[in-house]
Amino acid sequence: MTREQSSIETDGGTDASVTGRRSESVDYLDAKINLFDPATPFMRDHLRLIWALFGVWVLFTFGPVTATFLATETMTGTHVLGFQLHYFLTALGSPIGALVLCAVYAWQRDRLDAKYGISHETESATESGTAVAADGGERQ
Amino acid sequence: MIEAVLLEGSLETGLFDGGFKLVPALTLAAMLALFLGVGWFFRVAAVDDMWVAGRSIGSIENGMAIAANWMSVAAYLGVASLVAFLGYFGLAYVVGWTTGYFILLIFMAAQFRRFGKYTAPDFVGDRYYSDLGRAIAASTTLLIAFVYIIAQGNGLGLMAQYIFGVPYEVGVVLLMAITIGYVALSGMLGATKNMTLQYVILIGAFLLGLYATGWSQGWSTVLPFVEYGAQSTEIATEIDRQFTEPFQDAGYYHWVALCVSLIAGTCGLPHVLVRFYTADNERNARWATVWGLFFTLLLFMGTTAYAAFGTLLYEENVGPYTEMTGTQSDTLVVLTAFLADLPEWLVGIVAAGAIAAGLATTAGLFISASSAAAHDIYTNLYKENATQREQLIVGRLTILVLGAVVTYLALDPPALIAEVVGMSFALAGTVLFPVFFLGLWWEDATREGAIAGMLVGLFFGFGSIVNEVLPQYVDIGRDVIVPAFATVVPATSSSLVGVPAVMLTIVVVSRFTEDPPEDVKRLVRQCHSPEPMEKMQSAEDVATDGGTPADD
Repeated sequence: MTREQSSIETDGGTDASVTGRRSESVDYLDAKINLFDPATPFMRDHLRLIWALFGVWVLFTFGPVTATFLATETMTGTHVLGFQLHYFLTALGSPIGALVLCAVYAWQRDRLDAKYGISHETESATESGTAVAADGGERQ
Repeated sequence: MIEAVLLEGSLETGLFDGGFKLVPALTLAAMLALFLGVGWFFRVAAVDDMWVAGRSIGSIENGMAIAANWMSVAAYLGVASLVAFLGYFGLAYVVGWTTGYFILLIFMAAQFRRFGKYTAPDFVGDRYYSDLGRAIAASTTLLIAFVYIIAQGNGLGLMAQYIFGVPYEVGVVLLMAITIGYVALSGMLGATKNMTLQYVILIGAFLLGLYATGWSQGWSTVLPFVEYGAQSTEIATEIDRQFTEPFQDAGYYHWVALCVSLIAGTCGLPHVLVRFYTADNERNARWATVWGLFFTLLLFMGTTAYAAFGTLLYEENVGPYTEMTGTQSDTLVVLTAFLADLPEWLVGIVAAGAIAAGLATTAGLFISASSAAAHDIYTNLYKENATQREQLIVGRLTILVLGAVVTYLALDPPALIAEVVGMSFALAGTVLFPVFFLGLWWEDATREGAIAGMLVGLFFGFGSIVNEVLPQYVDIGRDVIVPAFATVVPATSSSLVGVPAVMLTIVVVSRFTEDPPEDVKRLVRQCHSPEPMEKMQSAEDVATDGGTPADD
């Protein structure tokens, strides 16, 4: 994905692509906003991503404590890396899971941006090269 | 549990013995001088800069600022305290305060940024086209800051007690005065730069103590975050089950209620949300959140390791850990380094780091509060044509008054550090999160709905705090005013009941009141448009100035 990302970033800032996108774009100001009823293709894709990841998040966040509640003996009796399983999943699993999910979302949003021809370079075009450098470097 | 803060335990740790400590004091002075120096270097006069730092900060740097803003005394000292004190229940704080970032990221960060308003009251005022709504949101912001800072004062006082060998009360007053002077002088741009610096310094101090303890005791090597398993299990199986026993201190319902409240609070806390405006563009704002969580995890996962190491050291050097007092557990991070027999300068750095954590967060809160007072209450409600100078004066006066009241209350704190902070999170989660969330995701949410919702939120959020805290200051003959209410809606965990109640109120009232005006709906739509906006542009500019050519 890094390859395709960077190719889009480099030409995303040109005037042609910006005007081209504008002329055929959806008018987002006429699209009704409702969490359960997306009105534009972008929102549909975006909400599908959001709900899918949200589902995983619920599992990561409340899964360990619920499993501990339901199967207390198994969870406290099993050991992982020296930890009791319930402690390991709650203290380490949930927080790290959230970090991974955040990164997945940010990465998938970059892909969505690419799909819909959205470039953030134009936003910071007024700035010097430092912004672009910081942009490229942070994804590693 | 709550009274334990004030009782001195029969078991003495010796942490507060030894009087004034020169090297730690100099370390602290050097840190503060550095913060003030940097703050002075980036000093600003313009009101715009004071609040959002001109929106020009990269995502890693911004991530550090988010993390530093988050990492208050509650996270630095308080969470380790609760994990040691309340065992598995304490982990709800770790889970809630970390996983909440994700909800913030997927549902609110970009939209909030596009809306382009400086503060929570501004958002509510504009989205719900209502000055009354703005006033309620501003008052809530003040209340949140108020409760939150009490906990910071408590932690700062304890640390001053160790470093300066002064009584707790003197320490609170001294350090709060330093914080207030610092905030009023530097403003947000200075504070932002400082927060990155503060993050680096405090995570360094925090991890130094953890690594040194792990090494000196032979418990951990390069990644103490995942290496304390043997210690944790040893405490639970060979000393007392309480350390990891699930649902011993609170049941499943309370665990989930607390976790949900801290998550909702994460999404509703104005001083965290304001960070999204300082990113270069939306993409940077998203990645800043990812970085922010990463930087925060270094601290939170360290706190659970501290809890295990500290508990074991307490058991070895002081006495049965189940008899640990509230004050002792609130200083556990520093106490761990102290009991591991680390050199005084090293323990001093850990303590100074806690003060840096408190300073960073308190600074952000004071800014939020002063902007709520100057911008939303004074200028928008009282004097429309207030000059920048007047706004600055009102903002600074607010900081001084708030600081004085909070210092007074921190002298006799109502609960453990992280519990008090938990209360302010629950308040933010219950009152502000639903109006933010529905405001951004449902364009038909109306002014009347939002006002009714926030009032219901205040009933649950603030009502539950008053219910449990007031009896500590006013003698009514029992611990809580309405025990049944406290069972279902605990002060630290009001959002599980509160958020659905508030959302339902907003939806129902909105259905029966007139739809929002068309320009407000366009504002909401602009927040979801994928098209990038100019750096200093807000949704309002685009939606009202004909920013899209396709308009008819």
